[in-house]
Amino acid sequence: MEKSNIAVISALITCCLLFPVVAAQETGDGAAAQITVSGVDINPGIFFEGDTGIITIEVVNNGPESVAIRRATMYDSDISVISSSYDTTTTVGAGNRMQFTFTVKADVPPGIYYPSFSLDFRDAGYLRYPVQIRVENDPLAISVLDKPDTFSAGRKDRIDITVGNPRDNPVGSVIVYFRGKSVEPAPSSYFIGTLNPDQAQKISFNITPGEPTNLDIVVDYKNGVNPHSAVTTLPVAFGESKKQAEPILSNIIVEYKDGKYTLTGDVTNAGLEVANSVVLSAGDGAEPVNPYREYVVGSLQPDDFASFEITFLSENTAQVQVIVNYRDEDGNPSVRTTPVVIPPKTSAKENSPGVSTSIIAVILISAAVIGGAIWYSWKKR
Amino acid sequence: MKGILPSLLLRPDTFFSERMKEPENLKIPGIIAIAGAVIAAAGSYLISGIYEGIFTAAAGEGMASLLGIFGAVSAFFAFIIIWWVVFSGIFYLLSMAFNGTGTFRRTLEFVGYGLVPVIIGSVISVIISFYYLPMIEVPVITNIQDPAAVQRVMSGIFEDPAFREFTQISAVISAIFLSWSANLWIFGVRHARVLSLRNAIIVVLIPVIIFMIYTLYMAFIGSPFAGGS
Repeated sequence: MEKSNIAVISALITCCLLFPVVAAQETGDGAAAQITVSGVDINPGIFFEGDTGIITIEVVNNGPESVAIRRATMYDSDISVISSSYDTTTTVGAGNRMQFTFTVKADVPPGIYYPSFSLDFRDAGYLRYPVQIRVENDPLAISVLDKPDTFSAGRKDRIDITVGNPRDNPVGSVIVYFRGKSVEPAPSSYFIGTLNPDQAQKISFNITPGEPTNLDIVVDYKNGVNPHSAVTTLPVAFGESKKQAEPILSNIIVEYKDGKYTLTGDVTNAGLEVANSVVLSAGDGAEPVNPYREYVVGSLQPDDFASFEITFLSENTAQVQVIVNYRDEDGNPSVRTTPVVIPPKTSAKENSPGVSTSIIAVILISAAVIGGAIWYSWKKR
Repeated sequence: MKGILPSLLLRPDTFFSERMKEPENLKIPGIIAIAGAVIAAAGSYLISGIYEGIFTAAAGEGMASLLGIFGAVSAFFAFIIIWWVVFSGIFYLLSMAFNGTGTFRRTLEFVGYGLVPVIIGSVISVIISFYYLPMIEVPVITNIQDPAAVQRVMSGIFEDPAFREFTQISAVISAIFLSWSANLWIFGVRHARVLSLRNAIIVVLIPVIIFMIYTLYMAFIGSPFAGGS
């Protein structure tokens, strides 16, 4: 009995030693079934053509046993995978998760692509998982909401724009700034940050152009880690605004008196906007003198008028320029010049007094009296 | 003074011969000269009113008033020095050529008496200036620091028809009354320097005619100036 018992025990021990090997063999066969892809993260969500992105794939071991992984890789005939494969054998414990990250570059035309994630198990089997990647080239949209009809040199004008995101993924680090020759934008740039899909941001800014030019409205942003730009060009053309104030001079009278010209008249605002700080002065052909070197009218509402008077000297010219300086509501200066014909200075002196009869009489009487006195003094000496 | 004026103006020979009997006395001639100086100062002050506008605009009202006072004081002393002292000195020196005797003080006294017609002429000129001065159009000066601007203004005043006419009439009146004074000075110098009548005429008329020609020439042909004193 003892010998038979020993033999049974030995057989059991042998069986016990052999049985786990069989079980493990069975685990290797079912490994592909235990490992599943639990999550896929693609950054950016949608690629531009040429963008570089990161694909992160998370797998989970749903089985009760560890699974040995020999190699993890991603491949596609169109999408370039820049990063290397995971070639080191590793083990995913029971119930554990593991992430695999791949850098890809979408040097492909717009479309939808499916690069494959491949997981090879050490013992047997593999896992294939296609990842969807979308490539679209829609940039951020810049819309000009409001702008002046025309611009003027040195005048500050406001421009309203919106920056919209027509893409299906958010973009980040959105900054708006402006480029242009002799343009002074305020603010110089505007930081928006992240623009979510189908979201728009309204921006108002002012520019003070020095000369006719083109204003580039530039929007810089990032799609994932990839910098991109959207540009809209706005022509800055000079001209007269349809609504601007128009100070018109009328009822002008020019007189030469007391050694200077005195010009009086009315200034009427024939425009549709208010003219502020209206100041009149004499320009080319004239030299302003006291007492009215300049005449301050002040504010002129549309269709309003005010009288003015300026004094000046003028030599050898029949025409002088009357300058009207004024400002709009934003303080932008404007100048309007009106030529005025002046009478010749000599005409003012034509009223030569002439020797009056009484003075001639005084002289003659004086001469006669003196002549008589002299004659008398010599006669009666 | 009241009694001596008709005698001085109508019978100067008798007047000065009687004065020669009395000691030299500069009191009345001095009063006459000062009266003439006051009239000249008043006339100059009125003329400076033309420039007042210029300097008021360029340098302020205080400067303009100061200019008028300066002109009046200058005219006051100029009348006494030129019309009394200088003419007396010229007559005294010229009479030395004709062996004239008598003191300079006596010459000064008689020349002072002879200024009465000149003063009457000055008064008439001042009165006439009230008629002309308001008609003078004074140019406006833009910058008193600019010599060209000042010269332009001065030219503008001199070219003003009213100013020119006033200057010419004033010169004519001055010449007419100066001839009357010259008549008095002839008899005055004759007695003061003990000269013959012919020599006295030469001594007096040489400087007077030169002065008269100069005055009329400047008023009608040359650069005009404000006469009347």
